Amino acid sequence: MTPQELLKQIRLVEIHTRKLVNQLFSGEYHSVFKGRGMSFSEVREYQYGDDIRNIDWNVSARFDYSKRFEKLFVKIFEEERELSVLLLVDASKSSNFGTNLQFKNELATEICGALGFSAIKNNDKVGLILFSDEIEKVILPKKGKPHIFRILRELLTFEPKNKGTNISKVLEYVSAMIKKKTILFILSDFIDTDFEKPLRIAKNKHDVIAVRIVDKLEESIPKAGLLQLRDSETGQMRLVDTSQKNFQLKFASQFLKHQEILNNIFKKNKVDVITVKTGESYYKPLQQFFKAREKRMAI
Amino acid sequence: MFENYNFANPLFLILLLVVPIIVYWFFFYKKNKVTAIDYPTLKNLEVIPLTLREKIKNLPNILRILVILFAILALARPQSKIKSEVVKTEGIDIILAIDISASMLAEDLKPNRIEAAKKVGQQFVTQRMNDRIGLVVFSGESFTQCPLTIDYNILQNSIQNIKHGVVEDGTAIGLGIANSINRLKESKSKSKVIILLTDGVNNRGEIDPLTAAEIALQFGIKIYTVATGTFGTAPYPIETPFGKQYQMVPVEIDEKTLRQVSNRTGGKFYRATKYSELKNIYSEIDKLEKTKINVRSYTRHKDLFYFPLSLCLVFLFLELTISQTYLKRIP
Repeated sequence: MTPQELLKQIRLVEIHTRKLVNQLFSGEYHSVFKGRGMSFSEVREYQYGDDIRNIDWNVSARFDYSKRFEKLFVKIFEEERELSVLLLVDASKSSNFGTNLQFKNELATEICGALGFSAIKNNDKVGLILFSDEIEKVILPKKGKPHIFRILRELLTFEPKNKGTNISKVLEYVSAMIKKKTILFILSDFIDTDFEKPLRIAKNKHDVIAVRIVDKLEESIPKAGLLQLRDSETGQMRLVDTSQKNFQLKFASQFLKHQEILNNIFKKNKVDVITVKTGESYYKPLQQFFKAREKRMAI
Repeated sequence: MFENYNFANPLFLILLLVVPIIVYWFFFYKKNKVTAIDYPTLKNLEVIPLTLREKIKNLPNILRILVILFAILALARPQSKIKSEVVKTEGIDIILAIDISASMLAEDLKPNRIEAAKKVGQQFVTQRMNDRIGLVVFSGESFTQCPLTIDYNILQNSIQNIKHGVVEDGTAIGLGIANSINRLKESKSKSKVIILLTDGVNNRGEIDPLTAAEIALQFGIKIYTVATGTFGTAPYPIETPFGKQYQMVPVEIDEKTLRQVSNRTGGKFYRATKYSELKNIYSEIDKLEKTKINVRSYTRHKDLFYFPLSLCLVFLFLELTISQTYLKRIP
């Protein structure tokens, strides 16, 4: 990829996500990811509906009585927004797959762009960890739009050294390294299932959101005779007779089984899951996620 | 079993060395290098059982190897050998003319002249092959005991049946020769031979031996003359009321005429005084009158290349159809 092409690609991601960031996620992102504490920012005149506990009696008392009418002032607090968002992106070979308009890693890049720009807009820090069965690349959280561009460039050009997927390894790494509470987005196809314990540990400290990226050909394989398939992670070969009786049923049930295992893990650890499909709009799943979370936080 | 088969171009069999390499290529080297669709994970497919089509997925490769194998075999051009010998012989015609006059009963040759002649004649017949042999006997008259034949069994019997005193006594050598000539004159064989066995002087018949020799010459017939009888006297059995008695009878042989007869016709004259001599004479004649035998042996090769070739084509066709239909893979 030449620098011009790369720039164009990054630009494209920015344009694609700008609308979402500016109009749809602006409020939602802000309200969903709250800061750690509240800090005083100013006082203003009491209005109907304000919490009486927030009335600043000192300020109210010092107000000029000569004007012969009383005014109350309330303290306004603003949440402390020094949040950081860490995007854990699966760079294993299996993400290099897609049959519907885009590859899984391309979709992951766009989602990263949307989340990153939203975070920057809210003055949050954004970092990136690329992983396969090893930690491939770490970009520490930082503020600023140029930093997002760097992350995007990394996502677009990175060539992983390893093929497999090991989610527990990256979760252990993050738990050990990041001390401050962070919002963790795990963007992966979750082929791995053996990561429950590290997930629990990470969840205790951080806010973990799983973004599962699937392709429609992973859900079902159409009737196409003999297919020569290669496991892109292990290199294992398999000739599959997709025309055999009940193949589609068997395969779909196997996929659902895997999905159920994953959902159980996430549910048990109260991790939110966003499932996005290649070639389909990721706006809706994200929107749903934000809505659901907002509702939960309001209670 | 395979000694009757060989390869016309066995050098092509060196190509068979390629076969293990191809086997290695198909089953080990290329095993993980076939074009395939990269798929995120095959874990979900593990529980799906293998069908027949997946189990025989290597069939096209096996067929390809067989195609190559049989193509090489066909190139080497297998042949079956059929060895055959053609014996081409030109037989000659021989008449054995045997004197059966009373003098032949003399016992100077053991057991007597006629028996010795019969025995030697029979032996002579067994030595010959592909010749037509006839038998003429003569004494005062002459008749044909057996015409020219290649049926040696009959001939042997005929020789066995020769007896003294069937016809009028005497020695008509000329008639014997003439009768023999009569038997041979129609013959179309290249060489015509009369072996005349006698023990006396021509004293009967209308034809002089020399005249008969002239006729023989006209017909291109060779006459070997064999005179039997010792020099001097020979014991001759005479039946008397007192039993068999021997009388010494002088041996009269017209050697001069016999010699002339044989010389005139390109034959040879022999004199046998003993049985062993007679035997030697006949074997000498046997050698002299050797028939030409051309033995041409040749090997007929029958090409069998179409056999492996057709197998090769069948497998090729099977491979092409199966790999494009039943075992067609994507990609």
